[in-house]
Amino acid sequence: MINRILSALNQNNISTYLIHEDIQETVELFFIKKNLDMRRQKEVHHYTLTVYKDFEIEGTKMRGSSTVGIYAGMTDEEIATKVKDAYFAASFVNNPYYELPSGEKEECVRLESSLASGSLADAAGKMAEALFSEDTLQDTFINSAELFVEKIINRIINSNGVNVSFEKYMAKGEYVVQCVTPQDVETYQDFAYENLDAQALKDKVKQTLEITKARAQAATAPGAGEYNVILSGKHVGIICSYYLNRANASMIYPKYSNYAIGNNIQGQDVNGELLNITLKAKAPYSNEGIPMIDRPLITDGVLQTIHGSSRFAYYLGIEPTGDYHSIALPSGTKTFEEMKSGKYLYVLNFSDFQMDDLSGHFAGEIRLALLCDGETITPVTGGSINGNLLEAQKNLTFSKEMQKEINFEGPYAIRLENVSVAGA
Amino acid sequence: MKVKSSQYLDQVKPLLKELLNSLLEEYSYASILATDSKGKNYAVSKSGTVIKEDSLLSGRGFVAKVYDGNSYGEYSFNEITEGSIEDILYNIKFSLIPLKESLPKGITESGYGELLDEPDVFKESTEYIQNPEELGDEKIVTFITKLSEEGKQFDDKILDCIVRCNYQQYHKLFLSRNKDMEQNVLWTTGSIIVMASRGEEIKHYFKGYSNLGGTELLEEMKDDIQSVAQNTLELLESEPIKPGEYDCICTPEVTGMIVHEAFGHGVEMDMFVKKRALAEKYIGEYVASTLITMHDGAAVREAATYFFDDEGVPAQDTVIIEKGILKRGISDSQSAMYLNTKPTGNGRRESYERKAYTRMTNTYFEAGKDKLEDMIASIQYGFLLENASSGMEDPKNWGIQCMVNIAREIKEGKLTGKIYSPIVMTGYVPDLLKSISMISDTMELSGGGFCGKGYKEWVKVSDGGPYIKARIRLG
Repeated sequence: MINRILSALNQNNISTYLIHEDIQETVELFFIKKNLDMRRQKEVHHYTLTVYKDFEIEGTKMRGSSTVGIYAGMTDEEIATKVKDAYFAASFVNNPYYELPSGEKEECVRLESSLASGSLADAAGKMAEALFSEDTLQDTFINSAELFVEKIINRIINSNGVNVSFEKYMAKGEYVVQCVTPQDVETYQDFAYENLDAQALKDKVKQTLEITKARAQAATAPGAGEYNVILSGKHVGIICSYYLNRANASMIYPKYSNYAIGNNIQGQDVNGELLNITLKAKAPYSNEGIPMIDRPLITDGVLQTIHGSSRFAYYLGIEPTGDYHSIALPSGTKTFEEMKSGKYLYVLNFSDFQMDDLSGHFAGEIRLALLCDGETITPVTGGSINGNLLEAQKNLTFSKEMQKEINFEGPYAIRLENVSVAGA
Repeated sequence: MKVKSSQYLDQVKPLLKELLNSLLEEYSYASILATDSKGKNYAVSKSGTVIKEDSLLSGRGFVAKVYDGNSYGEYSFNEITEGSIEDILYNIKFSLIPLKESLPKGITESGYGELLDEPDVFKESTEYIQNPEELGDEKIVTFITKLSEEGKQFDDKILDCIVRCNYQQYHKLFLSRNKDMEQNVLWTTGSIIVMASRGEEIKHYFKGYSNLGGTELLEEMKDDIQSVAQNTLELLESEPIKPGEYDCICTPEVTGMIVHEAFGHGVEMDMFVKKRALAEKYIGEYVASTLITMHDGAAVREAATYFFDDEGVPAQDTVIIEKGILKRGISDSQSAMYLNTKPTGNGRRESYERKAYTRMTNTYFEAGKDKLEDMIASIQYGFLLENASSGMEDPKNWGIQCMVNIAREIKEGKLTGKIYSPIVMTGYVPDLLKSISMISDTMELSGGGFCGKGYKEWVKVSDGGPYIKARIRLG
């Protein structure tokens, strides 16, 4: 198919292009309690083509682009028509000129993964075993689960010589834990691993069982007011993703973000911990074929890197790094127990926790929290937190204990001071 | 004009029938869903101009579903030729079906009966006034560029005006022993987002548009730029609300978010199968004010209207709540079989690559008899809630998490002009629904967004209803 696409490009005299090839195989298992409810398998092959057209408007050099899908079963005539239409569309995309990354043909990078040691079906069986191994209690159990094991091969080719590919595996999914006494409650949890990480999944399920059992004890909402809020697990990564997203060139170029290298991004008069964040490369190449490496994002609260695609990097006059989606933070200054001093509201789970990259607002409805009045700890449920990181970032505390998720490696917990709570 | 059939699906239909017949020799039930769809996105903002096919909404592919005498398996693929049929049959028989043998000790297989396969042969298409492909990329981009420029020039404080237009034209075939169904559907959506900055904080106001049709929708967007920009500027003066419970009036889009997120997800009956939905215990009970009647389905022409679902069940109009009483939920075929109910035509897939789940379509409350001005006049102190931003379902406990952009203060029956933002709505769904005391005599649906099941499986939906007056906890 690649050759047929190249031929269609040649036929239409199109010299600037980017082609993505994506081959996916998956095995999917769907469970209700300990019963397999549905099994699925997928084998698909996708091609995406972006064509670029250079032109001038009032003496300014422009580069328009348009992206289309090319499908198996298309005739050569259909492909040629689609390529021609895309090129025509690109002439209406009035974006200032930028350069595409250059490169050469590289060997396919096979990311090392224990998921590759057998068939996808075998790996799915082993992950299913891990999923249910801690599910041994009577009143707290896995209500339902979905498990996907996938093998993906990505190939990226462009007209500047880039011709790279990589193969990766993933075991991912979600499960819901239910506790039926003293009240019927549930907790949703998702997971994603690049290896056959059975122990990590077992630990996650065990923790979810414990949280859900605790939630079943919670009956009342916290009172409305301001609290020192502690968050843990994936919510720490969601908070920190604000900095990752604000440092993207696509946010800075249109001035949605005012980040600049050398800025103290937490502002002046920081009383809490200074941020140290590393950009983590989770794939060898960006979706444009730019080689990706780990890079410092923020050091002691100072922005070190703006990351982004070739277009926005060119506009800002910086090195194109590719778009990053994963970050790592070092351990914090206090143990998790030390963080739980004085009065606090430790929110273990939300119905959904949202971080707005534009406004800095974070909010979520509380599914389970532990409310400490300085002496007693009471499980509470209901109400919501509504805070702003632009204010909270001056007084952050991170735990010494660490966690590792697919897109976040860092402290297990974070403490935010004086956050508004709409309670009972 | 009616949306035409897919030439591609017409071309591969004989091959699909050959595959189906071979599957039916091996399995007592087999079906194939074939799709050919094209979704395109146009956007103009300070970031630049975008014209691209939407990878989520575009593609050609197939999913074969088979019954092995006890349970179901599905195989998704996107290439079929005379020569590949044997490979597909082989993969289903020797790879998909044996997957149940790789299960660990203690995990068994759910037992299901065979799906009903009632005869149904039809071909249906939706209508449009102006097909986006015929209008062309140039005219669409020129139109939204003009709107974007107008928004940006409205005031010096405006940071950006993002204008988008998206459409999907999809064609589906459903083939089984007794069914041969075809549908051809076109929907179009648009949006205007105006942004302004207050220091590091960016405030924005959003307006969405949708139809079951084509780019005739663009005309609706012309007149709103100034009001969206004005609302954004007002947000710069907003402040956080004092948490508490208030008398509120919800605009139709906020009503829609309550209908969809707070209640609709809870009546998706695959959740009944898993015992994850409180609603199952409340069938026949009052769950809302007697003023409330709630529908899901094809009784309205909106972006989520179709003729049959992804399991070959014809679309219906399902009355979920009738005068406050919960009557029934919505279901996919497998859930309905498990629960011994009739499927309601709500088995939907994100694409041929994904499993079918019970999903909403067009979900809404019926209009009432009140005038909006009377509703506002009835409030001593409260808020008009507008600009729904996001929500999350909680079928198990009927907890509400919905976020809105603006709460406009009402004092002694009048809007004061003061606004609060952002707003989190919380509480217990039946408490909110039972507190509804007034309903406007007009209703609106909007289908600009997509709905996820949890955090994935995105499908096009619309929701809405009238203005409602209710008691709501805000924070």
